[in-house]
Amino acid sequence: MSFWEYVGNRHAQLLADTYQHASAVFQCMVVATLLGVTIGVATYRTEWAGNLAVTSTATILTIPSLAMIGLLIPIMGLGVAPTVTALTLYGLLPIVRNSIVGLRGVDASLVDAATGIGMSRPARLFRVELPLAWPPILTGIRVSTQMLMGIAAIAAYASGPGLGNEIFRGISSLGSANALNQVLAGTLGIIVLALLFDAAYVLIGRLTIPRGIRA
Amino acid sequence: MTRGDGPPPEGERHAGEHEVQGIAFRDPEEPGTAGPHPRGATGTGLDGPGRDGQSPPAPTPAPVRRRITWQKLTFLPAVLTVVLLATWLWFRGADLDSIARNSIDDGNVWLRLRQHIYLTVVSTFFVLIIAIPLGILLTRRRLRPAAPVVMGVANVGQATPAIGLLALLVIWLGIGTRAALIGIIAYAVLPVLANTVAGLKAIDPTLVEAARGIGMSPLGVLRRVELPLAVPLILAGVRTALVLNVGTATLAYFGGGGGLGDLIASGITNQRMSVLVLGSVLTVALALLVDWLASLAELLLRPRGLEGGT
Repeated sequence: MSFWEYVGNRHAQLLADTYQHASAVFQCMVVATLLGVTIGVATYRTEWAGNLAVTSTATILTIPSLAMIGLLIPIMGLGVAPTVTALTLYGLLPIVRNSIVGLRGVDASLVDAATGIGMSRPARLFRVELPLAWPPILTGIRVSTQMLMGIAAIAAYASGPGLGNEIFRGISSLGSANALNQVLAGTLGIIVLALLFDAAYVLIGRLTIPRGIRA
Repeated sequence: MTRGDGPPPEGERHAGEHEVQGIAFRDPEEPGTAGPHPRGATGTGLDGPGRDGQSPPAPTPAPVRRRITWQKLTFLPAVLTVVLLATWLWFRGADLDSIARNSIDDGNVWLRLRQHIYLTVVSTFFVLIIAIPLGILLTRRRLRPAAPVVMGVANVGQATPAIGLLALLVIWLGIGTRAALIGIIAYAVLPVLANTVAGLKAIDPTLVEAARGIGMSPLGVLRRVELPLAVPLILAGVRTALVLNVGTATLAYFGGGGGLGDLIASGITNQRMSVLVLGSVLTVALALLVDWLASLAELLLRPRGLEGGT
């Protein structure tokens, strides 16, 4: 069976897997973005807290994802719970780091000016600092998403959802006629998804980065 | 800087860390407290350098405090020792049935650990001898037009799931260590290459021009100006490759390459939590240790002249 015949025959299964993969990554990204920016906002003004947030997230990033999932399974069992936790945790890291870096990089004189025209602290944060720090934060979100695509594939080994199942089905039936098709379908599907997400982020960047600070 | 300890503010930063620009300029009165510069994703090659089109930061003059502190030397090994000891004690106490014992008998744990280290070291070596010369070639005048193409490929490569790449190689080359090694190498070459190219490009062009102006040959410029300036970058590449490869090597099991992934996977498939936890803890400890060693090497091997401002 050629690859395209395989895709044609199994398109229902493949589409379901693709949808699950995308939705798992997307939902975890939304949670990770909210959490990550919140952590960034909460810590960037204190030297030690910001450093602690950055170093601890960086430490988690060095942990291999399979080992992380392995540590979560005894606590949460197999399936969706460890997958979602691991994905959110890994997704958090680039976002926390880039929000802290971005917020700290905002020109202090601009914040002073905002104070000077009588803006309150929340107004300063939402109308001056966060918009200025948004491009690096968005970069963090893009990096996170690409990373999560691959980690979600590995999570399929712990009965997680998504296209990783296709890859692991291929691995467990190595030598059979369909092994290559399954692995190829899973891998290409993930690459296509990652590129689509990336394109979406470029678009979001176009729409949301304030005109004044566009490169 | 080592992850896991309170990082002392340092003045130097890496060429790839484009997002940090501007921080050091925030408090011009107190250069000593120049902001921290997170090393996270540089260490793991995740911040595609130049991805958001910002120019790399200029080297910031800021006094460097003692580069290696006692905390830095002792904190992580101490934590790892405690964690490993606790795991060992817990493991002694856990009652293992025959399936669990099967997975760890006959020095299997030790064998997997050695395999893992072997995979990591060998793949890192190959990643470096492929990626760094290639990065240097791509920044030469004649090959420079090819650089964006390679960067584009590198971006797509980042989107490729490691497990899929590995599985494809296993189907192509057959099960075994060779396929696993090639997979690990292929997965790490692109990020390291991208980092190298970005770093070499970030070298102040006036320095290169000055070197040319005093009559150095292109090779001389490369050997005596560009490469020494790129040493921190190459060391960062070593660290990136090591950390990535420790992670990818856990997947080598699925290609018949062994490694600690074997313990994790058999723990999951046989539902033996003790084996699973042992494998995971060992993997985590190895990853953190490797990263710590690489961070020490980064500090020790950096040329003195590049310590920001001092």
